[in-house]
Amino acid sequence: MLDRPLAPPPVEVIVAVTQALHREARLLDNEDFEGWLAMLGKDVSYRLELKSRRFRADRSPPLPFGPGVIFNEDLGRLKMRVDRLKSGFVWAEDPPNYIRRAVSNVEVLATQPDNEVRVHSVLVMHRNRIDGTTRLLTAARTDLWRGEGQAWLLAARDIVLDHSVLPDSNLNAFF
Amino acid sequence: MRFERIGREPDYSRYMDLKEGWLDRRIFSDADIYEEELYRIFARSWLFVAHESQIPSSGDFLTTHMGEDAVIVARQPDGSIRVMLNSCPHRGNKVCFADAGNTRRFVCNYHGWAFDTAGDLKGMHEEYCYDNGDIDFKNHGLKNVAKVSSYKGLVFATFNGDAPSLEAWLGDFRWYLDMILDNEEGGTEFIGGCIKSVMSANWKFGVENFIGDAYHAGWTHDSGCRSMNDGMPFPPIDMENSYHASVNGHGWEFGTEGVGDLVLLGRPKVMDYYNKIRPKMAERLGEMRSKIFGSVASASIFPNVSFLPGISTFRQWQPKGPMQFELKTWVIVNKNMPDDIKEEVTKGVMQTFGPGGTFEMDDGENWENCTTVNRGVVTRHERLHYRCGIGRQIEHDTLPGIVYRGQYNDANQRGFYQRWLDMMTHDELGKMPARPEPQLGNVAETRDLPGLFAL
Repeated sequence: MLDRPLAPPPVEVIVAVTQALHREARLLDNEDFEGWLAMLGKDVSYRLELKSRRFRADRSPPLPFGPGVIFNEDLGRLKMRVDRLKSGFVWAEDPPNYIRRAVSNVEVLATQPDNEVRVHSVLVMHRNRIDGTTRLLTAARTDLWRGEGQAWLLAARDIVLDHSVLPDSNLNAFF
Repeated sequence: MRFERIGREPDYSRYMDLKEGWLDRRIFSDADIYEEELYRIFARSWLFVAHESQIPSSGDFLTTHMGEDAVIVARQPDGSIRVMLNSCPHRGNKVCFADAGNTRRFVCNYHGWAFDTAGDLKGMHEEYCYDNGDIDFKNHGLKNVAKVSSYKGLVFATFNGDAPSLEAWLGDFRWYLDMILDNEEGGTEFIGGCIKSVMSANWKFGVENFIGDAYHAGWTHDSGCRSMNDGMPFPPIDMENSYHASVNGHGWEFGTEGVGDLVLLGRPKVMDYYNKIRPKMAERLGEMRSKIFGSVASASIFPNVSFLPGISTFRQWQPKGPMQFELKTWVIVNKNMPDDIKEEVTKGVMQTFGPGGTFEMDDGENWENCTTVNRGVVTRHERLHYRCGIGRQIEHDTLPGIVYRGQYNDANQRGFYQRWLDMMTHDELGKMPARPEPQLGNVAETRDLPGLFAL
């Protein structure tokens, strides 16, 4: 795929998609999970793959089943996670944890077909847990957003965490 | 190998009374007790370091820890496996910062001292600065551990030259271990990578949860269970036909219904696969073990390995101070499974017991808060209750080990802490009592056991 197309997407598209990223972060911070699900395409793919720390000159072949995928979700699985969060039985979230997401380094790139754009962004997630501990996670995201009717919907998201050892006991949060 | 020790040796027996069923909370946060654990337990036990499938070829290596000591596990040209300290004998720096890979040499970043995969010193930067007699290459390799041995794919190592054989260390627990390691021709392998996360909790809370705490599942994991199973809560436990079995601090809690953990994995294709091989499993391991496999179950190998047979998560709780551990998890599958089933297992494990898994997410907070709260200056002098099912020990004519009836029980946890106490109080491992006396004796292969155990 061409990473720097000759013509950038129209300014209106860049603004709309960037606003969608910010809106998404706000909805998730406010635990408006239904609102977030409504921003996802029906065929959404949501993945978080782990990294393994290797020498640059490492000679070993890639692992046959990949390095381990923490999230490998479709819309049904994401809905299931939301149902779990809303079940009233998630003791570790009651009282609620505080999560704040900051989205930055947004690049909106044209791609084919015309109603889709490739989007790079950086997410900084600040989690303050019920016992008062605070964790900071950073991740790079590569998305595919699709214009459908009046809205831009998330069609695919690949998340790369900047941690080889997760500095937290779980990833009970959407990126 | 000798180890320096700090401080006076307290009377550890005052920290618990397992006949009464209580523990002193200080064992979960006290820094002196933790240092003693590193010396008396981690430096003297057989510790899991790798699955053979992780390092199949000559030059393959991975890095891990034995207690808090960093080690390299490397496959040699002759096929053997060596385990050595990941520390340069010159100034002590780590010689390998990669998680895993394949290499010919480990080279220290500080002065370029270079070691082959056996740990032998092969050269260094500006070698001419050493005069004749300054350094004997032979005696300045990476320190190899005292013993390395493997049991059906699992590689263990120990710093303790006087340790019993690995078979004797695992003892009758091999009867249970073979349910996960040998339920099908070809044995097992680890697939995917290693997932590492940090928890601010004492390492024993992870081990004791998996060794016997079926009790927490229905409450802690209520949300996960309901979301995975159309709103249905955790199924009721059959207290008559489920058990705790403890052998020298290792433990396995299990039902005999054959499907519970496979249902929780949430991958019907995997269930079908095991149902298909179950008759062969029964021929291979006996009827009883084929009924146990796949049931609601969890297990730990003393001191710090746990797994869920059926759900296929395999994990190690690496101590990082009294109030922190690093959790390393892998996916274990049967080598002969078709690729699509292996892929299904991987997905299922990540969705249930990965760091973003619907069950795993509920556990960490509990262990972290048990650890931090138990540390309070007043709180830590209060006892913790470990008495559940204390009167339910039975003699079972098929199941080896110290067996208790009823899966909701603290029996295996008591067995684990009994072994902890044995190791903390015995200077010679050989003088520790067997718990219980071994029934399998020197049988090399639990598949070939006489009828009684193969039932």
